[in-house]
Amino acid sequence: MNSETGGRWTRRQFLGGTAVAVATGPTTWAAPQTAAAAAAVDENPWRYDVDRLRQVDPALIGYERVAGFAVAASGVRRLVWTTPRELWVTAGRSLLAYDLGGAKVAEVAIGDVVRCLALAPDGRLFVGLRDRVEVYDRQGQRLARWPAVSGKPFLTGLAVGKDMLFVADSGNRVVYRCDLEGRIQLRIGEKNPERNIPGLVLPSPFLDVELGGDGLLRVTNPGRHRVEVYTVDGALELAWGRAGVALDAFCGCCNPIAVSLLGDGRVVTAEKGLPRVKVYGAAGGLETVVAGPNQFAPVGSDERSRGKPDTALEGLDVAVGADGRVAVLDLVGSTIQIFQPKGVAAVAA
Amino acid sequence: MLPGPSNDDRTSRREFVRNGLRVAGLTGAGVAVGALSHRGAAADTVWQIDPRKCLSCSRCATECVLEQSAVKCVNWFPICGYCDLCTGYFEPQPIGLDTGAENQLCPTSAILRKFIEDPYFEYKIDEDLCIGCAKCIEGCKLFGNGSFHLQVRHDRCLNCNECAIARSCPGDAFYRAPVEKPYYQFTT
Ligand code: SF4
Ligand code: SF4
Ligand code: SF4
Repeated sequence: MNSETGGRWTRRQFLGGTAVAVATGPTTWAAPQTAAAAAAVDENPWRYDVDRLRQVDPALIGYERVAGFAVAASGVRRLVWTTPRELWVTAGRSLLAYDLGGAKVAEVAIGDVVRCLALAPDGRLFVGLRDRVEVYDRQGQRLARWPAVSGKPFLTGLAVGKDMLFVADSGNRVVYRCDLEGRIQLRIGEKNPERNIPGLVLPSPFLDVELGGDGLLRVTNPGRHRVEVYTVDGALELAWGRAGVALDAFCGCCNPIAVSLLGDGRVVTAEKGLPRVKVYGAAGGLETVVAGPNQFAPVGSDERSRGKPDTALEGLDVAVGADGRVAVLDLVGSTIQIFQPKGVAAVAA
Repeated sequence: MLPGPSNDDRTSRREFVRNGLRVAGLTGAGVAVGALSHRGAAADTVWQIDPRKCLSCSRCATECVLEQSAVKCVNWFPICGYCDLCTGYFEPQPIGLDTGAENQLCPTSAILRKFIEDPYFEYKIDEDLCIGCAKCIEGCKLFGNGSFHLQVRHDRCLNCNECAIARSCPGDAFYRAPVEKPYYQFTT
């Protein structure tokens, strides 16, 4: 059997924490360039066929699209609602604000690539860069720049409460609880057998955190294909989710990659690979589908996703508005789509 | 003499250290060219596959002049996610995440799954069973890290002047690699 670099060395290195850095290497693959090449792939008797997995029974889709527009910017990553009629999107080194008609209404330049974003109740914007958090007002004035996080930080998610900010650091595989001055108070989600916490597994750099109205945190654990529920003191209360391509499961190496919460505690999840947005009950039962793979740009249809492995795909981000509408940012297609439950009267854009 | 290939993990690691090929190993050459020296070939290049161009068409399994293709799947561990749900190992909709034959994607059960520690599993390829069909590679590319890839194994390959697979490869993925770097050089 082959072992390439010698199993022991690489396993030590992998389990030692370098997985995120190495697992997202720049390998990309070509698509068939000619009709003959496409035919050769189609004729393959050992074809890995996932076409059927891209289909979702329309009867299981409980939401309908009520608005949508293209974001004319590259490098979109995350989005938040700031008002019922306005969404802010991170795009490379910028924050862009859009109304629901797709008109850009504000733009803020940031000194570094923005990885995540959260809106505080007082209107301040918390902006996550690779290794630190910065705080801005809505006019784009920087109010604070917190010190860099130590270790191998790669911040990917933020959730803000009245006097706390939760920072998901996929590089260090931990969620920090910080005060609003940037002091780290607690580390949440790290492996701790005494507290029955198995630890965060992140084959790809996606770790998200949301704070519910019930005061509990929802943290993605994509390598374990589940969502974990923590108290703000770091106690693991509940975990749910399973691996698989079935509709109620989370597919691929690592999903879900993003979560957002409905007002009643139900959880909206976003997956990459097979891009799917679904609604789960607070205890984890699948309730309905917001949107299935056919409603998003096919992976490979743009330069950003073409030929990339699952770990390097960015897929979707999701944000629930105060009125329950679900905004979905498609990183492949660089679009925003707004969905609301079927049968509900449309809210004017 | 360059080290010969081995299907025994420990032997190949010993050879690999003894021959000072650590750098080559770290960049993708777990075993080096052996067959050439057996056959006294004077070539200074050998056939290899660029995994970025491979379309997983499966012709590597059927077009080689050898009865058992010289092309095999290799797992490049530095980018492997050691996933429990390995989409190169499991059928797209497995009944369970275990080694039951009905759950395995590989038509010849050539992939060996071994528990390492929660929740990590190691996947190795039994080259004698692998036919080079690339099915696992497509699964790993689509939903995993892309660590599975095809290689022309130089303990098997005859280094034909005109590689029969290269001639029909729809991705134009075959290239001539220098004999001192016979395997595709991954970067991270
Ligand atoms: S013939 Fe070419 S495209 Fe087909 S499996 Fe082999 S290397 Fe890949
Ligand atoms: S699926 Fe095909 S290429 Fe992969 S290990 Fe099995 S026989 Fe080899
Ligand atoms: S060079 Fe010959 S032996 Fe080697 S892979 Fe090609 S056809 Fe097979």
